[in-house]
Formats: sequence, structure tokens, C-alpha cells
Amino acid sequence: MVNPVVNDATSTSPSGSLDQSLLYPSPLKEFWHAFSRNKGAVMGLAFVCLIVFCALFAPWVAPHDPSEQYREALLTPPAWLEGGSLQYLLGTDELGRDLLSRLIHGARLSLLIGLSSVVLSLIPGIFMGLLAGFFPRLLGPSIMRMMDVMLALPSLLLAVAVVAILGPGLINTVIAIAIVSLPSYVRLTRAAVMGELNRDYVTAARLAGASLPRLMFVTVLPNCMAPLIVQATLSFSSAILDAAALGFLGLGVQPPTPEWGTMLASARDYIERAWWVVSLPGLTILLSVLAINLMGDGLRDALDPKLKNAA
Amino acid sequence: MSLLQINNLAVRFGDANATPVVDGLDLSVSAGEILAIVGESGSGKSVTMMALMGLIEAPGRVTADTLRFDGTDMLGLSARQRRKIIGKDIAMVFQDPMTALNPSYTVGFQIEEVLRQHLGLKGRAARQRALELLQKVEIPAPESRLDAYPHQLSGGMSQRVAIAMAIAGEPRLLIADEPTTALDVTIQAQIMELLVNLQKAQDMALILITHDLAVVAETAKRVCVMYAGQAVEVGQVPELFDVPAHPYTEALLAAIPEHSLGAERLATLPGIVPGRYDRPNGCLLSPRCPYVRDNCRQQRPALDPKAQSLARCFYPLNQEVA
Amino acid sequence: MTVVLTARDLTRHYEVSRGLFKGSAHVRALNGVSFELEAGKTLAVVGESGCGKSTLARALTLIEEPTSGSLRIDGLEVKGADKAERKQLRRDVQMVFQSPYASLNPRQKIGDQLAEPLLINTSLSKAERRERVQRMMEQVGLRPEHYQRYPHMFSGGQRQRIALARAMMLQPKVLVADEPTSALDVSIQAQVLNLFMDLQREYHTAYVFISHNLAVVRHVADDVLVMYLGAPVEMGDKQRIYERPLHPYTQALLSATPSIHPDPAKPKTRIAGELPNPLNPPSGCTFHKRCPYATQRCVAEVPALRTVDQRQVACHYAEQFL
Repeated sequence: MVNPVVNDATSTSPSGSLDQSLLYPSPLKEFWHAFSRNKGAVMGLAFVCLIVFCALFAPWVAPHDPSEQYREALLTPPAWLEGGSLQYLLGTDELGRDLLSRLIHGARLSLLIGLSSVVLSLIPGIFMGLLAGFFPRLLGPSIMRMMDVMLALPSLLLAVAVVAILGPGLINTVIAIAIVSLPSYVRLTRAAVMGELNRDYVTAARLAGASLPRLMFVTVLPNCMAPLIVQATLSFSSAILDAAALGFLGLGVQPPTPEWGTMLASARDYIERAWWVVSLPGLTILLSVLAINLMGDGLRDALDPKLKNAA
Repeated sequence: MSLLQINNLAVRFGDANATPVVDGLDLSVSAGEILAIVGESGSGKSVTMMALMGLIEAPGRVTADTLRFDGTDMLGLSARQRRKIIGKDIAMVFQDPMTALNPSYTVGFQIEEVLRQHLGLKGRAARQRALELLQKVEIPAPESRLDAYPHQLSGGMSQRVAIAMAIAGEPRLLIADEPTTALDVTIQAQIMELLVNLQKAQDMALILITHDLAVVAETAKRVCVMYAGQAVEVGQVPELFDVPAHPYTEALLAAIPEHSLGAERLATLPGIVPGRYDRPNGCLLSPRCPYVRDNCRQQRPALDPKAQSLARCFYPLNQEVA
Repeated sequence: MTVVLTARDLTRHYEVSRGLFKGSAHVRALNGVSFELEAGKTLAVVGESGCGKSTLARALTLIEEPTSGSLRIDGLEVKGADKAERKQLRRDVQMVFQSPYASLNPRQKIGDQLAEPLLINTSLSKAERRERVQRMMEQVGLRPEHYQRYPHMFSGGQRQRIALARAMMLQPKVLVADEPTSALDVSIQAQVLNLFMDLQREYHTAYVFISHNLAVVRHVADDVLVMYLGAPVEMGDKQRIYERPLHPYTQALLSATPSIHPDPAKPKTRIAGELPNPLNPPSGCTFHKRCPYATQRCVAEVPALRTVDQRQVACHYAEQFL
């Protein structure tokens, strides 16, 4: 007959061996470890940090005032070309304004537009997505049909329409972009919420007596954040592009405010004579969008496996 | 000569110094024999069979002194040569029938695929043979099932289809990895009976991987008990359960509710299986073993014959040791 | 002993639409289940998939309202309860789920998850909540520093302890455990089951223990309720049922359960086939198609649940097994 092994049933770790749960770092460290493995993402992050730095410290970093017109130096080429000067590192535009300073100050605007449009569409988007997920019978379908209508219209045309109604300018540009990005947040949130609602831990929270607001914001929402964070990063870059497009069309930020897209628009005529007035703002837009997208990809890869582990 | 001979199998994930997931495993199976491999999660039992089938991908590395099936050295095979054997002479049935079948193709298509690949059957001959296979695994109304999709079948039915696919190539060795864990108990009994009957009828060797000792007691002739990647005891079936040699086997048996009839508490071992980063220097069970002595903590015992079985212990329970 | 839960004729029907052109079908997921639960006792609900045990669990934990029948918890009737009464009812019934991986919120520290029921239902201060949580954590074998950890840092067995701790924070009168150890290894299962019994002894909680593992049920239960296709087929004292099962389905379940020391003399009651489609249940006794003893009467007449040999059985011929 087998002798029962006497035991200490409540101990989870015998003395002498490491408790594995103590070996695990905090979620932030784990996230950074996963994120930093993606070289592209880290480079993207570095560039984004550069842009943020420029935006924050523009008045001190920029060599000149962005609106100051140097009549004697109209259309000066960049410093490394013939005719260029070290005083205007990236050259000047058709009104004699230093391009580098304008680009640095433009970073402020682009970041401002990106950030505010994302926040302005993320918050109502999450809220509507939560409602749609938690009330799938009546409220949900109505919200989703509304979003379907908005998605059916091409985003740029929608933005143009909004600006046409509200009038051009910075604030209205932000509003237009926010409206255009709203449906994707609603859809993402709703999909994530519906996926989580069936899970046992939500039932357990219900059993503990959690009220609806608590269920929505404390129990379910934190588990839906990963796809939202990734989407927010990617919308940031589309916001910059949309603002640039609107600016190019003359509907966005108005000159003389240094915004990268508006700079592109006003330099249209100088493509042949002074290519740098067009190309450099365009290049800046390209690099910024690329950096943000790389960062977003890295975020998605870093956040997704964590979700799988926790599932 | 044994049908399957494995000596010193080791599987590591990572570089050559990484902790092995399977460590120095010796195993042999004769033709027509039923061997059970028993262990809990983290014991390495599934990884062993995946290594045999060549299903371990980088960064996993498989090393062994011998890995021979029916005379063929499995280690040196190219992918193409291996494909000729896997699925035909060696077949595997997995735990979850719902995910083991491709949801986008009908049952008939999937069985015929195996027949086409390994027996070269096509068209009507393939369909006829698929029908015969479904009859062999005792699926009611097999003609209608050929055109069914996996999601239209219950768990028990799906597992029968998976078994049909496995025996389609008339394998000499069938590996069943927890074939009934996901099934209800009455269906479990039906499937186990089916496996044993098929094994006798087709004269196959059967390796049954499971964590359920009771299933082993009713089905297998020989058992290999694994713990943390090592084989800790290998023995014959009723003897191993009546008089276990290794303390872990004893603990596993003691933890089964059947053994504590009437007792208030179930007997348990404290602690959990060592993970990759906290392997003890000595015997892997030493932190938890109730019979541990000093030298157990310093040296690793080898798998040696001890009375009627092989046990990896300096002080096996079925012997008088000084 | 105090009766903490009374269920009378609990029934739950679903309307399932079968597509655009066929009407809707009626699924009788739960069909007239009645029982009484005493403080500190365990009722095991046994059956295979589709027997209605999950539906029963949802009805008992107030997640779903039964279509008909009455449910009284600690004297309070569930139907027609007002807001304050519902709040009280919530505190009296809690649940532990099957999957240790899905029942904890991945984004919340486990200390916060354990404190949540207290936060919602009591007016204790933060310090008092923390103190209670630490005490419960100690009781279930967790260390104080685990408070700050996230669920993915724990093993399956540890997570079930956390889930159990969370369910017991409000010291409910009734705990519904839905297959709490099915996903765990044998030795971990033993640890967790011991914990269940310890906590029951301490808090006198009544358990409704849902499981398909008859060996586990034999260890933990005082009374057993066997279900088939939503209806009770046998119910009574555990000892009696295990020693002499009167319903053919119970006999088949017990016979199908593998044993470490199989008795070759004991006949195996094997039932054929699978669970019938709940949308189209058989007439009369729903088990007749698979029952080895079925007669014409079984096809025509639904057997009533009646008392035979000090238990309830729903079989026309229960007496023949005495």
C-alpha cells in the first residue's frame, strides 16, 4: 500500500528554490525589453524624441525667428550648395525666411495638431465603443451604423467638407481630423470590448457586484488598450499628413504660420528654381510619418505578445 | 530488435548551454507494444515525441546518441526523407480534436489527403478507402460524414476522424498525445477502447502520452514516468502502481483522489516543478522529496535497474538500502 | 443544519433561431432541477457536456434568470427581489471558474482584484481592506509580496488559489465551483482541493461543485446530483450512489471512469453513441437511445424523479439494480 506523503499543502514554494514570481520585472520593464528588440522602432522613437525636443524648445533651438524676412537673402540655397551660407543652414524661402527655423517651429504645430486631434477623437471614440460593446442590442447597432456612414466617405473629402463648413484655420483643422479618425477608434474599442465581455474575469467582477461604470472603465477598458494605443500612434502620423494635405489645399493652417503642409503649398511655384523650399518640408513630413509608424509597429509587437501571455 | 530506440535524447531551446527541456532520455518500444509516458506539465513528455517526429524548430535543438525507428536513423534524415516516414509509419493523434483538424476542408478531403500523400491513392479508390477507415473507427453513418466539416462534428467524432487519418498510412507506431483529455468521460472510455482494439488489429505499437495514471493502469503494459525533463522511473504496469520505486511516482499515486478515500485531505508534495531557472544541483526532486538525504542535493542519480523497474533514485522505495 | 439554498424546479429554456426560413427552436437547457443545500456541505453536480451544469451554475449565481422555478438563497427569494435584496444576494453567492487563465483580470494587480469585492460591497477603509486581503492571501498560501503582482506571473495552481481567495473575500454562504481543478495537474489539483476543503471547514460555506471527474467528486462531495440533457437523473447521498448506482447513466459514468487498480471482474457498462441533439431530444426518457436496458415504456413515457433506496432516481426500472 502506498504511504501517503505528508505535506504542507498551503506552501507554494519550498525553501531553497527561488519564487519565480519574484523574478518577473514590472510591466513597464517587460514592455521596454520587448520594444527595444525592434531596431526600427527604437530609431523611430529616437526621431520622434528629436521632433518633440524641437517642438518644446523651438524658440531656443531655432537660429532665427520663423517669420522674420531677410530681404537680402531671398531663396538662398542650403549651406552645402553653391551660394549657400552658414547663416541659413537649410536656405531661405521666397520671402527670405530661414527654412530651418520654420521647420523647427513647424514641428510645434504638427505635434499640436497630431496630439489634439488624437485626444479629441480617442476620448469620445472609446466612450462610444464601450457603449456599443456593452449594449449590443439597441444602442450598439445605432452607433455602428453612424460610424459606417462616416467610414463610407473618403477621409480627406470629409475633412475638406468639415473645414468648408467651419472655415479654415488651426482649430477647425484639428476638429476635422478628429471627426475623420473617430470611427476607427469606435470600431476597435467595440471589437475589443466584445471580445473581453465573454471572459470569466468580467463575470467574476459582475458577481462581485461591480456597477456598470466600474465594469466599463476599471475592468474591461484597461484590457482593450493595446490596439487603441497602436491605432493612436498611427493616427498621429495620418493627422500630420491630413493637416499637410489641408494646408496644401489652402484650407488648413493659414500662412504665415509655419506648418509643414502650408509651406509645401506656398512653395509650389518654386519647384524648379529653388527645390529646397518644397523638398525639405516634404522630406520632414516623410521622415516624421515614417518614424511614428515604425514606433507604432514596435508598440504593436511589444504589446501583443503580452496580451497572449496574459490570456 | 526494438521498433523504436532512443538513447540520451536531449532537447534545448536556445544555445548549447541552455537548460534542457528533455534531458538524457532513454526509451525503447517493441513492435505491437503499448507504452505510456506519464508526467505533469513541464515534464517534457510532449516535447519528446515532437522531437521524434522532427517537429521541433529553431531555436530548439535536438541531440541524441541514438534515435532509431525500424532500423532507420531519424537524426540524419533530410526533411523529404522524414516526410515519407512521418504520417505513414509513425503517426500521431493530438489532444484537441477540434484544432487538430483543418476547419476549412471536409473530413473526406483531409483523410484522402493522407492517402494521396502516403499511399498514392486517388479519386474513387481514395474515397472508398476513406470510407473504410471511418468504419474502422466506428463512426456511425460514415458516408454522410465524409462531406462534413470538422465544426459539424462533436469532440468524440472529431477525435475518431483524427485517428482515422492517423491509421490511414497503416503505421507501425502510433503516438497518442493526451487523446482523451478534452473529451467527456464516457466518450473517453469509447476512444481508449477503440485505440486498444485498433492497436491489436493493426499490430501497431502505441505510445500513450498522458497525465492520467488511471488511464495508464487500464491500458498500458509499460510505463515511463517523467519529471522535469527526465525519465525517473520505467516499469511494468501493475507492478509500478503497486510498488513504486521512485518517490515522485509514489507522490503522483498518492495525490490521486482514489487513494485518499475517506481521508480528509489528499496527500500532496509541497512546491512546484522546477522551471528553467531554478534547477537544483542535485536530484531534480530533492527540494520537494520527503525522503531526501544530503547526497541527493549534491549529485544527480542515473536511471538504473532497481528491483523490477528502472528508477532514477539513490534510495528507491522498493528496495532495502543500507 | 441550516439550509442556505433551496432550488425548486429550476428551468431555463432558450429560443434559438435556426436561420431565416425555419422557425426558432426551443432548447431546454435546464429542466426542473430541485435540491437543498446545507451550510458547510458540498453538492457535486456531475454530468458531461450538454447536461446543463453550466446553465445551472449561471442560474445559481444570478447571472441568468431562470425561465421558471424558485431559488431561495439564505431565505431570500431571487425572483422579484428589489435592488437592496439583490445586493445582499450577490454577496451570498460567489463562483470559481474552470480556467485559471481567464478568470483573473490580466491588467489588474491581484491585490486589487482581491480587494475589489470589499471595495464595492463594504465600507471598510483602505487599510482595513488591505489587512483583510493579506489575511486571505496567507490563508490560501500566497506571500505578502504577491499583492503587487499581475496574474501572468503566477502558475495555474496559484491562480486558482487567487480566484478562490477572491470568491471567499465576502465570506459567501454558497460557492459555485465550475470544474475548478480540471485544468490542473494531478499534484496541483490535490493541493487546490485541500485548500477548498480547508476553507469550507473554516467558513462553513456550502459548495456546489460541478465536475465531470468522478474520482474528485467522490473525495469532495456529500451529495451528488447526476444530470443528463438538462434534467436530474439521480440524486442523493454520495456513498449510496457510488456503492450502488441505480440509474444506467450513473452506472455508465462510474464504469467509464478509469481506476488505478482496475478490477477485471467488474463488468464494464459501456454505452454507445453520443449525446443527442438538444434541439431535438428523444421522446420519453431522453437516455433511452443509449441505454442497454431500454424498453418500449422508456421510449414512450418520461420517467418521473422518484425516491428509491433513499435517493431520487428518474428511471422506470431503478428497482432492478437494488
